[in-house]
Amino acid sequence: MAPSLYLHVPFCPHVCPYCDFHKMRRDERLVARYLDRLEQEIDEQAARYPGRPATVYFGGGTPSHLSDAELARVVGALERAFGFPGTVETTLEADPLTFDPERLARFRDLGFDRLSIGLQSTQDPVLRFLGRAHDGRAAMQALDWALASGMRVNADVITAVAGQDAERDLRTVASSGVGHMSVYSLTVEAGTPFALRGVVVDREREADDFELAAPVLAEYGLERYEVSNFARPGDESRHNQSTWRGEPYLGLGPSASSHLPDGVAGAGAFGTRLRNPPIRRWLEGAPPESEALDAEGVVVERLLTGLRTREGVDLDRLRELTGRTPEAMAPAWWRDALRHRLLEVEGPRLRATADGLARLDALLRTFVQAL
Amino acid sequence: MTETRSGAAFPVHGVRYDASVEIRNFSIIAHVDHGKSTLADRILELTQSVAERNRRDQMLDTLDLERERGITIKASPVRVFYRARNGRTYMLNLIDTPGHVDFGYEVSRALRACEGVLLVVDASQGVEAQTIQNAYLAVENGLEVLPVINKIDLPNADADGAIADLEEVVGIPADHAVKVSAKTGENVEAVLEAIVEHLPPPRGDAEAPLRALIFDAVYDSYQGVIPFLRVLDGRIVPGDRIRVVSTGREFEVDRVGFFEPGFAVSEALGPGEVGWLTASIKDIADTQIGDTVTLADNPTDRPEPGFKPAQPVVFSGLYPTDSEDYPRLREALEKLSLNDAAFTFEPETSEALGFGFRCGFLGLLHADIVQARLEREYDLGLIATAPAVVYEVTTTDGVTELIQNPSALPDPDRIASIREPYVRLGIYVPEEYVGNVMGLVQEKRGEMKDMLYHGKRVELRYEVPFGEILYDFHDRLKSLTRGYASMDYDFLEHREGALVKVDVLVNEERVDALSVIAHRDRAYEVGRRIVDRMAQVIPRQMFAVPIQAAVGGKILARATVRAFRKDVTAKCYGGDITRKKKLLEKQKKGKARMKQLGTVEVPQEAFLAVLGSEE
Repeated sequence: MAPSLYLHVPFCPHVCPYCDFHKMRRDERLVARYLDRLEQEIDEQAARYPGRPATVYFGGGTPSHLSDAELARVVGALERAFGFPGTVETTLEADPLTFDPERLARFRDLGFDRLSIGLQSTQDPVLRFLGRAHDGRAAMQALDWALASGMRVNADVITAVAGQDAERDLRTVASSGVGHMSVYSLTVEAGTPFALRGVVVDREREADDFELAAPVLAEYGLERYEVSNFARPGDESRHNQSTWRGEPYLGLGPSASSHLPDGVAGAGAFGTRLRNPPIRRWLEGAPPESEALDAEGVVVERLLTGLRTREGVDLDRLRELTGRTPEAMAPAWWRDALRHRLLEVEGPRLRATADGLARLDALLRTFVQAL
Repeated sequence: MTETRSGAAFPVHGVRYDASVEIRNFSIIAHVDHGKSTLADRILELTQSVAERNRRDQMLDTLDLERERGITIKASPVRVFYRARNGRTYMLNLIDTPGHVDFGYEVSRALRACEGVLLVVDASQGVEAQTIQNAYLAVENGLEVLPVINKIDLPNADADGAIADLEEVVGIPADHAVKVSAKTGENVEAVLEAIVEHLPPPRGDAEAPLRALIFDAVYDSYQGVIPFLRVLDGRIVPGDRIRVVSTGREFEVDRVGFFEPGFAVSEALGPGEVGWLTASIKDIADTQIGDTVTLADNPTDRPEPGFKPAQPVVFSGLYPTDSEDYPRLREALEKLSLNDAAFTFEPETSEALGFGFRCGFLGLLHADIVQARLEREYDLGLIATAPAVVYEVTTTDGVTELIQNPSALPDPDRIASIREPYVRLGIYVPEEYVGNVMGLVQEKRGEMKDMLYHGKRVELRYEVPFGEILYDFHDRLKSLTRGYASMDYDFLEHREGALVKVDVLVNEERVDALSVIAHRDRAYEVGRRIVDRMAQVIPRQMFAVPIQAAVGGKILARATVRAFRKDVTAKCYGGDITRKKKLLEKQKKGKARMKQLGTVEVPQEAFLAVLGSEE
């Protein structure tokens, strides 16, 4: 099976103070060099991993900040090299201020069938605090246009912001009829302007908002299927589900990650994770960092991503793949996690309960600690 | 033990050995904080053995820890020269001593190298418990005692009152007492004159067979063991073949020298001198403190009787947080025990903590210092279990054993009797606080034996279970008396008591390393304190963790470590997985002073919960 594709576009109309993704302001000469190098990388990688992908995801950065012509050039290169769009789902991340109904129609014409909007909040003071260029009205306008375009739509919302009425944000966005929402607690990442400014997230507030999301969104038919992701049944992000299941994906563009089964020098018996260098070195053709996976690493990864999801981890498949089970690797941890109802087993599936989901980092820390 | 960092080369000053120089060997003894180390500093300055520009406060306190805590732990020697008013020059060997009650043993070792002591008394505090104890120690060792009344610059100084105290309470003639301020330097020279005039010179025979007492030792990675010596008779020069009397082991002397206060090389050490030697002594067991060194081809027939070995009275387990550090911990303990003869260790195993050592100490401060030195000087991450006293248990089959580790206490139905150590406790306090002190000691099951008035100060004498005064007693005594009370104690005997083992369960599993022994009537209180303190110091966990104290199967007290409300990363997509995995690895390595009990992460402090003050 051909790997899914992730394509990273590092350019943004402006840079938000909380974001720690690889991104920068648009620079025409840099964009031109980026597109040249990207076309080259697409061709190189297609030679190794040919075949039309099931899902394609344009992330960033702000992919919708590329012009129509630039997007068309990237799409054309993918189409020639791998086949495009994906057979199942093709997503474009978009900033609310980068599209109108006409542009949405062009996105659809290019092959995108899913739009992920960086909406963040509907409340102006919250948006200002987050350093966003749009206001609440523009956010809702963009959402309505996207819904009317016939594409599947996700809206991102950030919670745990001081002064925010998180419940109102959740209800306002959900009542638009959107089929997918990603709800993130504000996280102050090291090295970001928020970290430098000493922004602190109130832990109790964060927990309040976290506990709020699932019951509120359920009223709108949006069910939690991952820690931060809610969807109407059938409207889940197929691309992200695939990475959470541990399936292979190929990353294109600066700082993009890949998870590949084989075919790379130094690949371990359990595949390899690769990460492209940031843009300057990527443009020079510097190779990715790679990490060969071993059995233990695969188990950690499967718990790390699988337990975040409603479908959980298939223990039978994990044992077939690695010869390991978490139970045998950390018996005391296993016993406590089940006894305290943080994890539950149903048939071959291991899942986090609601309590387990809320404390998943602690669960993983203690698992790794016990190894 | 101290690793000297001098490397292979000691400074050589071309010091000629001069048998005609007059010598005075003395120590400074005092109650803690009465200004002993400050006085030592002034003496060094006056004799210019340390240039002004190198002056640091407490120059003789060589361990980092000593300087940090402002206390002296190890006896450290130094040689200075003083030109007296009579026109003659004297060699003064000063051996600074610790002031804390735990380190009385170090004091007695230092005193063996001396003919006299300066007994320092704070003019604003008067005689305190350790003033009395140390003065008696000096007198028992046959030393001349020269009182020095310090801190006369303080507004509330009462030098004459302190002198009267000394004569009345301690029974030491104080006509030669010198009144000084070590802080300002006032009258310190008079101390030097008094040393020369009133302290006796050493009596030794340069022609007799070598007889030198080992009173301390350090380990140097290049030189091996460096014993500190007081020469009683004879001389040592490089090239001599020496014999350690108790082991019979022989070594060839490489170098000899003295302390300035660092290591300095000289041509020889003669009778009355205090110094060191190197002889490629690699094995720590080859030189025991208190042993006598003599010449192999002309041995003495009068070896020193050796020191009365100090009995450790408090035991605690030391475990490496990383089990791979076990061999390094053993090596560090061996080195440390070389110049800390009062410290003992033997291997033990804990279900919860793995392989470690049961270590014996003179008291809590001693335990604390040893642990800090292991962590700092040997870079070891350690878990220490709560210090406990030694119990005597007679089982139903008539066998009596010593229990150093509470978890080793046999099941109650196998115990015929348990005896706990009692101490004689002396408390010295202004009379207005007597009521508070009596209340406190009563609570600790103490029995008053005597109450003596010395002017406005009262000496209370008790017999009390040592285990009861081990933890928070001193702090509470100080706070109940606004800091005025002082105390000392010495071991009395083991007495039968209604004692039980209090077990601690974390997440419903008994943790052997947390068990303590308590009096039956106090078991609830002890258990309550442990579980409350543990619940405070254990960070939130992934589930609510019950902490329980139990006697037998019966739960006495329970507290709960709360669960995180939310501890989960917001975003985890393809690009985040590697980073998240690395973070997990880093967090795993970062748990230096945490121990995982099952799935519960327990910090070092939790193992000392029984020590926690009752807030």
